[in-house]
Amino acid sequence: MNVKKQILKKIIELIILLVVLSFLTFMLMYLAPGDPVEKKLSAQGTAISQEVLEAERERLGLNRPVLVRYAEWFAGVLHGDFGVSMTDEMPVGPRLAAGLSNTMVLALSSLIVALIVSIPLGILSAVKQNSILDHIVKLLSFIGNALPNFLISVLMMYLFCIVFRVFPVVANNSFNGLFLPAISLAIPMAGRFTRQIRAEIISQLDSDYVTGLRTRGVKEKDVLLRNVFHNASPHIFTIIALQIGTLMGGSVIIENIFRWPGIGRLVMEAINGRDYTTISGFVLIMGTIYVVINFLSDLLQQSMDPRSIS
Amino acid sequence: MSKRKKRQKIKIIIATIFALIVVVVGALANFIAPHDPNATNAMLMRKAPSAEYLFGTDNMGRCVLSRVLDGARITLASTFLLVAISFLVGIIIGMLCGYYGGIVDTILMRIADLMLAFPQMVVAIAVAGILGGGIFGAMIALGITMWTGFARLARSHTLSIKNEPYITAAKLNGKNGMQIIFGHIFPNIVENVLVNALTQIGTTMIGLAGLSFLGLGVTAPQAEWGSMISEGRAYLQLAPWVVIFPAIAIIITIIIFNYLGDVVMEYRRMD
Amino acid sequence: MKLSKKVLAAFMAAGMIFGMAACGGGGTSTGSSAAGSSAAGSSAAGSAAAGSSAAGSGDKILKAAASFAYASLDVHKESYGWYTSIYGVSESLFKVDDNSKVVSCLAKDAVAEGNKWTITLNDGVAFSNGNKLTAEIVIKNLKRAAEVNKKYAKYADYKMEAKDEKTVVIDTGDKPVPTMKNDLADVTLGMIDIDNTKDFDNNPICTGPFVIKEFKPKGDVTVAKNEKYWGGSVALDGAVFYYMQEDDPKLLAMQSGELDCYNSVSADAMAVYQKEPDKYKVVSIQGSRLQFYILNQKLDAKVREAINLTVDKDAMAEFLKGSVSPATSPFASTTAYSKVNIPKVDTAKAKSLIEEAGYKLGSDGIYEKGGQKLKLKVCYYAARSLDKLAVLMQEQLKAIGIDCELKVEEDADATYIKTKDYDIAWYCMISDKTGDPQYFIDTTLAKDSNYNGGFTNAEMDKLIEELHSETDSAKRAELANKIIQIAIDGNAFGYTGIFNHTTVLKPGVSGFAENSPYDFYGIDAKTTK
Repeated sequence: MNVKKQILKKIIELIILLVVLSFLTFMLMYLAPGDPVEKKLSAQGTAISQEVLEAERERLGLNRPVLVRYAEWFAGVLHGDFGVSMTDEMPVGPRLAAGLSNTMVLALSSLIVALIVSIPLGILSAVKQNSILDHIVKLLSFIGNALPNFLISVLMMYLFCIVFRVFPVVANNSFNGLFLPAISLAIPMAGRFTRQIRAEIISQLDSDYVTGLRTRGVKEKDVLLRNVFHNASPHIFTIIALQIGTLMGGSVIIENIFRWPGIGRLVMEAINGRDYTTISGFVLIMGTIYVVINFLSDLLQQSMDPRSIS
Repeated sequence: MSKRKKRQKIKIIIATIFALIVVVVGALANFIAPHDPNATNAMLMRKAPSAEYLFGTDNMGRCVLSRVLDGARITLASTFLLVAISFLVGIIIGMLCGYYGGIVDTILMRIADLMLAFPQMVVAIAVAGILGGGIFGAMIALGITMWTGFARLARSHTLSIKNEPYITAAKLNGKNGMQIIFGHIFPNIVENVLVNALTQIGTTMIGLAGLSFLGLGVTAPQAEWGSMISEGRAYLQLAPWVVIFPAIAIIITIIIFNYLGDVVMEYRRMD
Repeated sequence: MKLSKKVLAAFMAAGMIFGMAACGGGGTSTGSSAAGSSAAGSSAAGSAAAGSSAAGSGDKILKAAASFAYASLDVHKESYGWYTSIYGVSESLFKVDDNSKVVSCLAKDAVAEGNKWTITLNDGVAFSNGNKLTAEIVIKNLKRAAEVNKKYAKYADYKMEAKDEKTVVIDTGDKPVPTMKNDLADVTLGMIDIDNTKDFDNNPICTGPFVIKEFKPKGDVTVAKNEKYWGGSVALDGAVFYYMQEDDPKLLAMQSGELDCYNSVSADAMAVYQKEPDKYKVVSIQGSRLQFYILNQKLDAKVREAINLTVDKDAMAEFLKGSVSPATSPFASTTAYSKVNIPKVDTAKAKSLIEEAGYKLGSDGIYEKGGQKLKLKVCYYAARSLDKLAVLMQEQLKAIGIDCELKVEEDADATYIKTKDYDIAWYCMISDKTGDPQYFIDTTLAKDSNYNGGFTNAEMDKLIEELHSETDSAKRAELANKIIQIAIDGNAFGYTGIFNHTTVLKPGVSGFAENSPYDFYGIDAKTTK
């Protein structure tokens, strides 16, 4: 199968997936207790009369059958219009785009940090299995993984903003504001990556071909970098690809604590407010991201690991 | 070589003993706990650790030690069950996809993408609405996305070994697909996927607590480690022990079970 | 351009971490990277220091935190008017003072004659662009509010007329509206210069002491002094409202000196501030948010009475120390309409009541009747401390022999409040919007109300009817007291706590509405730093 055909096939798959995904989302949100009108009007904690609720539902067209609303929304999407928010009637598209680009910046920087830390540590602790270093790295990765991210965030904030005073608590959307959330996201990620990279490297080191190369007298460094890491990388990519998807969904807690206007808190607000249009727009984006990322990681696997092509 | 194996065996026994201790402590919490884990006391709010209250008290005056002990059972049971089921479902689906490829692979992997693309909260709200809450609902809400990671990893590993000589040899010997998947592929990829599963224990314990406001999770006032941590968050500066002790409990659990996983796998490799 | 800067920053952050990891872990060959990172670090430190020094001197800019941020500043839409009021941008015809009394603001007074209200505007009221506020503009505002906000649809039905430049006459037809003054004090009915405002969402022209300088939708809001403020000089030069949802960063920002004040302080943060009274001024007064539970009238009357005699609101408030005061009525105890009697806790009497209802204490310490345990379904949602109250209630009731099953829902209104599938339902709402009891009585005691567990009383209905037409505020308070007393005597509800309105301020900062029981006021002309 050539690449062109493969891409075409992927696009068809993607479209089917997005239709199913958005439809299911619409239905689930419809079935969930509460609706956008009730949610937004009672947000301040004052009781609202049934007449007002009904009038507002009528105005927003929420009393029409859910299938009609979905069809209308979907028709809009086909024309590139993601509709307006059910909560404040502002266009959803630009808002999602802004949130996504902020999240992407945060996701990329934390991913880079996590990889810079975990690739050398993972390889090192695999090569020096059961050494003191291996045990220390292991312990740190467990701790990084067990701490909830609010705790990491608050500790980071306390350390850097109150003790060392290198950053302001109330940071704006710049380097000052990026550093701490990126680290807070990277810490548990680095822990997971290190463990996984270590395991992948160890299982490669155990393979027959490594023993073969060693007996042939190939330098250990070359074995490690040229063969072992190369052969382990498709699996490492799979893990990173999964992580990218999670990262692109945004982290509500980290975004809230560090005032980072990412997509995570945007969507959390939308879910809490039963803002159907914003949520549906979001799942379209996420569906596309996952399909594209997984496609790329499959391609990578094929190109790096010719054994996997049947 | 066999001396090394013996040493490894001892390591496994030690790790198993520690793991058993954790399980036994959880099971016997009611007898070990020094206080009623749910008894509140306004006079004892946020008291620092003392001889009477070794781990201090939370902001309803409840004994943190007793709550950590009492919460062990439900925390461990729900987490291990969830991770184990997701692991099994994920690895089986991943192997099927990797080995057979084609339409089965396409459909199952797109379903995985679908599951991943749903915001977790949407799934959770829907599950809460349909099942009416409880810890079981929380496990489903998390499990719906958790298996996909294991599946993709297992698939990636299956792809890279399925054309190895020993698989081809097995095929030539007339073994069918299932026999090859479970007899040859599974033993070769299980370790890498298991490492991933074991690192998820901590995140799962925290994640289970994150859905409690939806009614998904343990019913109040039952203690559970993740919830203890997130409830204690509000007064972190006043009473850090309320967060620290359940967090330590989680870390110890992770260490013990990951270590157990490591030594068993190492032992297996020595064959 | 903006994005590429951020990407650059991302790489810098990555580099810095790399440097730190290398230093910390005793790495080998990353010297240049480490050097680069320390440079990045020090520049960040420099700018942080510069930021704080700018806050210390120069213009008087108040730095506050806001827990909510919305996409629009349109005063009339949704509840955005709460925020334009907090930001000191918009004002309404009347105001509710710190004692829940309606006082003059843009309007001098409003007098009723039958169903006709005559409202006189104050002298010299002008918008921030210098235009005068006239009776005609007031009418336009009320009509616009009715159009864009269904909550105010009734203003479209009233006949409104500008008698002269400063007098508005509102004819409510055959329906008396005794609360007109209170209604007009609603901050959502703030006055906008409708004819000259081009962008209602981002920059409404209003009459307040401040004008919008920079508005980031769902983000930070910066306001500047209104040089033409009709009410005289404005003490501050401006203010910034940082959008901060989480409690921890607010606490840390206050500790690092980056914030001057904020309100809705959590009980836990309050305890931290109170340890250092010379560094922080904490003001906590009874607010207007009520925690209460609804008793399903399907329960035996004696059991209901027993529950109310058992639930100890003082003990509950003890656990929520600082954030909640025990409720002596649904309304703040400073109001005239809070004079009711709630029976004291009496568990002995509660037990005998349950026994009178035919229950016998089982061997497990729980009452039972005909083999059926006395087990109640307690519904709540995990916000406003209701989760804690539900747990405490369960414990208190269990002590006398009533078992409870707790059920938490994310959305109370769409679940148990709607289906009435509960024995006890917890809820929290604002009981007093504008210094009058009618809104709360209508929402909880009217016949078809969702927030009523099925309680009815003929005499009460008659009194509510009277309340709807009585204009004298002393008499209204008296009626309200009688109505609420009937609900208390009938064990329709249990009022447990009223949230305190808690503000923390740096020494020297004052006037952040810290003495107001309401959440919708913030800075004004007198706010100082």
